[in-house]
Amino acid sequence: MKDMKNHLTKVRRGRGEVAYGVFNYIFFTVLCIIMVYPFWHVVMMSLSSVEATAKGGIFLWPKGFNLDTYAQVFKDPSIWTGYLTTVLVTISGTFLGTLFTATTAYPLSKKDLPFGKTMLLLVLFTMLFSGGMIPGYLLIKGLGLIDNRWALVLPGLVSAYNVIIMKSFFMTIPESLEESAKIDGATEVTIFWKIVLPLSKATIATIALFTAVGYWNDYFSSVLYINTKSRWALQAVLRYMLTNTNQAMQSAGVTVASATNVTAATIKSASVVIATVPILCVYPFVQKYFVKGVMIGGVKG
Amino acid sequence: MAENKGTKKTDFKTRCQTTWKDMVKYRWLYFLLIPGILFFAIFKYVPMGGLRIAFMDYNQYNPAKSTWVGLDQFVKLFSKASFLPVLRNTVVISLLKLIIGFPIPVILALMMNEMRSLKFKKVSQTLLYLPHFISWVILAGIIMTLLDPDNGLITQLIYNLTGERVMVLTSTKWFVPMLIVTDIYKGMGWGTILYFAAISGIDPQLYEAASIDGAGKWKQMLNITLPSIVPTIVVCFIMNCGNILNAGFDQIFMLYTSHVYEVADIIDTYVYRMGLINSDYSFSTAAGMFKSVVAFILIVFVNNVAKKTGNEGLY
Repeated sequence: MKDMKNHLTKVRRGRGEVAYGVFNYIFFTVLCIIMVYPFWHVVMMSLSSVEATAKGGIFLWPKGFNLDTYAQVFKDPSIWTGYLTTVLVTISGTFLGTLFTATTAYPLSKKDLPFGKTMLLLVLFTMLFSGGMIPGYLLIKGLGLIDNRWALVLPGLVSAYNVIIMKSFFMTIPESLEESAKIDGATEVTIFWKIVLPLSKATIATIALFTAVGYWNDYFSSVLYINTKSRWALQAVLRYMLTNTNQAMQSAGVTVASATNVTAATIKSASVVIATVPILCVYPFVQKYFVKGVMIGGVKG
Repeated sequence: MAENKGTKKTDFKTRCQTTWKDMVKYRWLYFLLIPGILFFAIFKYVPMGGLRIAFMDYNQYNPAKSTWVGLDQFVKLFSKASFLPVLRNTVVISLLKLIIGFPIPVILALMMNEMRSLKFKKVSQTLLYLPHFISWVILAGIIMTLLDPDNGLITQLIYNLTGERVMVLTSTKWFVPMLIVTDIYKGMGWGTILYFAAISGIDPQLYEAASIDGAGKWKQMLNITLPSIVPTIVVCFIMNCGNILNAGFDQIFMLYTSHVYEVADIIDTYVYRMGLINSDYSFSTAAGMFKSVVAFILIVFVNNVAKKTGNEGLY
């Protein structure tokens, strides 16, 4: 059947279509290069010598290859504390966030739960309207969480969007699977934990990944809620290095006198690379889960 | 059925009783809901209640001493010379992003769908989605490197082509175009994904029938693929319209400097500076609330329009 279809289309491919096919490949090859090149360029900048970066013209390969910048940046304790905070926040936020998304979505997926509809509407409403920056800040202040790493975790735990995705997935689980357990006297909590969750591994993985990316990329919570620099998340540290290069260089132990092998430009590119590498390493392997998640969410609209 | 004929009062009473019975029956489900209810109540609804300070003169040292001032903060907001340009920048930047950026993922998805090599398609998708997962902090770092006034690659490229040293990041003329281009760079790949979801749901028999009728690939795309994704296009468009006051806080916050405030200062950055730098909590909450309310009205409005015109809405 498939062969026949291929055969049919092959026969009907006109000259115009072949030309279009070629154009398509060239177009997307160029586009892919455009997507990747900026990342490549910063890597090359970070590996180049001071003279070469000052002169510019670094294009495909580093000029005056050296690792001095990295040695210098890694001396800056704030990179390490930033990594520590980000890892702690990402792990705890992803774990708790995914768990609470599931525990919120499961009861709401039951059509005959009293007040379930109302609660779902209240969750949905938070997608359309929010208190905004200042009330959020005053809340964290009121909870006494200023300068506490929990302020980086708690406000982003559950998103209405993820609850909706999970809920629509739970609704596809056949009722009969849960019924038989209910007859055996299991409570909904047991059913949720022993039957529903194991069936939802793929969806849970997707939600967990989206949540993890959100936490990993978050810099603004640190800017808002954390005053002590050693508790900042990595992205906030990076932001500081990018916008205050001079202070950042000092904190990395670079004084004007000793700054022979590094400049603002190389420091900036090296810190960008250091913050990006973990994502680039993980991304190719988990990309398909992201796609799956959107497909699940997109089916329902 | 016979019991239902009682008076309204007992009817209400029995309904309450059955509801209560159901609630007891489902008590473990409510137990599971506890963390979620607490989260949404504390971190979503308490800040909404916190919007009341927009109607106050908030005393940050002693909140109990704050006084109610009615709509004074909003009057102040609109009489302030600095706010109207901010509003204009917000709308201009996001409209430009919408008009220029919106069609690109649609076109990309249609083009990619025509690709015959699955492997090539997979690789291009992976690369095109990538910037979506990279934070604006990192992208801003890359942009700053490329646009460095002395030795940035793009600065040098422009210099070699035109003989002019353009400082994009501090130029009121080039900053906004830069925002639009980089926004497209970050979002265009990931933007295709909803369209792919829609395309994958098209019945393959439609294509077979069309090709038997002699329709070429081009005609198939115009008459089958495109019409099939129109509902998705409409939903995406609604979402984007509802977001018209979100001009992209993270992007601008990372890249702007006082040189370009006059073209790049948007409501969110204004709220941040007024609120957290100047500590004018009530005033900046009023600015933020104005934004939330307008966005809410917009999204309800466009959703109704979509439904009236026979398309599926957002909710």
